[in-house]
Amino acid sequence: MWTKIRHWLDVRIGLDNIIQTQVIDYRIPKNTNIFYTLGFLAVVAYGIQVVTGILLLIYYVPHPDHAFGSVQDIMTKVPYGWLFREMHAVGSNLMIMVVMLHMVTVFLMGNYKRPRELTWFGGGLILIVTVIFGLSGYLLPWTQLSYWATTVVTSMPTAFPVIGEPISRILRGGDYVSATTLSRFFALHVAILPPIFLALMGVHLFFINRIGISATPFGKIDEEKRPLTEYKRKTYPDGYPYYPAFFKKQMYMMMAYFAVMFFIITFLPTLFFPNEANMPADPFHTPQTIKPAWYLLAPYQLLKLIPNKFFGIMLQLILIIVFLLWPFLDIQKEKNVLKRPVLRGVFLFLLVAWVVLLFWGRT
Amino acid sequence: MMRYRILWGTLLFMLPLTVHANYQQEFENEFLTKPWAGVQIEQNFCISCHSSEQMKPEFRSIPEEWRASWHAQNNVSCEHCHGGDSKDAALAMSPQRGFVGSPQYKDVPEFCGKCHIAILTNFLESGHGKALKAGKKAPNCVVCHGSHNIQKASINIISVQLCTKCHSYERAKVMKQALFLTETRIGELANKLEELKHEGIYPETDEKSLFNTQAEFRALFHTVDVNLVKDRTDEFTTKLDQIDNNIQATYRSLKFRKNFSAFLMLSFVGMGIVIFLL
Repeated sequence: MWTKIRHWLDVRIGLDNIIQTQVIDYRIPKNTNIFYTLGFLAVVAYGIQVVTGILLLIYYVPHPDHAFGSVQDIMTKVPYGWLFREMHAVGSNLMIMVVMLHMVTVFLMGNYKRPRELTWFGGGLILIVTVIFGLSGYLLPWTQLSYWATTVVTSMPTAFPVIGEPISRILRGGDYVSATTLSRFFALHVAILPPIFLALMGVHLFFINRIGISATPFGKIDEEKRPLTEYKRKTYPDGYPYYPAFFKKQMYMMMAYFAVMFFIITFLPTLFFPNEANMPADPFHTPQTIKPAWYLLAPYQLLKLIPNKFFGIMLQLILIIVFLLWPFLDIQKEKNVLKRPVLRGVFLFLLVAWVVLLFWGRT
Repeated sequence: MMRYRILWGTLLFMLPLTVHANYQQEFENEFLTKPWAGVQIEQNFCISCHSSEQMKPEFRSIPEEWRASWHAQNNVSCEHCHGGDSKDAALAMSPQRGFVGSPQYKDVPEFCGKCHIAILTNFLESGHGKALKAGKKAPNCVVCHGSHNIQKASINIISVQLCTKCHSYERAKVMKQALFLTETRIGELANKLEELKHEGIYPETDEKSLFNTQAEFRALFHTVDVNLVKDRTDEFTTKLDQIDNNIQATYRSLKFRKNFSAFLMLSFVGMGIVIFLL
């Protein structure tokens, strides 16, 4: 039966050829490490969000009068609704973590360097879209946490002169977070961002496929130093076949991802649900502390520390631009971060600053 | 060259914006101290007037007392009790808008009873209420509950200090004993419902049911009729049992969730180990 199906597909789309070229003959550099699976893991994480998101979409009602109630119904009345909602909520946070970790490891291994500038740029955009996914989804349960965190976040653009207020009004659909904001964020979350994300992911994968995988600079360095005068796909004829060696690593990481997700759901079910996340939104009652999601705590704390909010916002904008365009700004040929003390120092400083600001913002 | 172009381009983009750095001074000053652009609570002239220097000192503490009250926590504001229009200075104390300043001592039950309807009915049927209306020495609502700094009612209001202002504590003690078990259970159930919220469950139906049961029970108490309270305690116990059953069912459901997700976690750990060993 299976042979017949395979043959049926092979004569039509050349299935055997795809398997031969993309799986068996596809070679992975010998010195790849487990961090090379993070990109695949991000795709898996996105897949989980899509599946669980669609299941939530069946019962969720994007209206202030019903949003909170419909989420509660999903949690208490819909069979296994709690599971899908927890997977979606925990998964969204894990996905942001995975994408961030992917970017950090790519940075540390210098894999953003030419000819992969566009791959990095696309990956950076994916990270930004992922964060916007998180932000827009944050409002949907219409809780005290989501309402006031969204109020905070949508106020941030007002620090920009001239264009700030209109941006903020467009985001909210008015002067304050309301039913219109919920509709807009819902549309953004389920209709606008997914095709953008898929398109970016497609382009990102296209670049990876066309340019070829970059080898890690740690250990045996085999990255070519040739001048970039013509297109040449990087291949590793002496590398490991993708299947089964690398595929096994990917599957292993996928299992680890699920295990971590269910560990959080089992033992830390309220990790991403503080008390305000379980209270319906009350626009007339501001909570004692208003905090955005953890991935925005560091920028939020930075904003609080800089006396001039305009400069605070501009500094963050500059950091985002530098982050996106980093491959164009870093012209050093050396990929190994261990041989670049200045870059290593800057990275460690930024990492420590981010962690400190994150925990500071929590208090 | 490219990176210099990008750097210069970025700087050129930023430069004109820095000229406007003080564009929104007001925003910057208040950026992190206000509930930005949330639904703004409109100006309350009662509070602004009572907080001002022009107000008599004995009335100046009223806004602070109210802010600390159970009423304030539940969005019950000046005009809900006193009438008038708190949003319009000219009409804030207008009799046409139903303004009543301080009600007469004997009229306080009706003043509070605009909202606390069942309690008013029971109170007026009680010895306290009848004596008050007969012009005898009797307590009205504020004697026990206070006026502006009203706190969430509790069985502890029935106390030696308060009751012995007018009569001996013996009868009040019997009433407190009759209320004790049901009140304690209501408190325990309220705590359990609060715990459920920490677990990610919002037990709205049970919370409303508990609130209604509690309100009904406390309204009954205002008759100050111990026998009536004792006679109807079973009825309230049944209602509380139902709420308790629902809470227990929710806890069982939470336990199932924990076990199920633990099973999934272990399954994936197992599959991970198998893949690792392959």
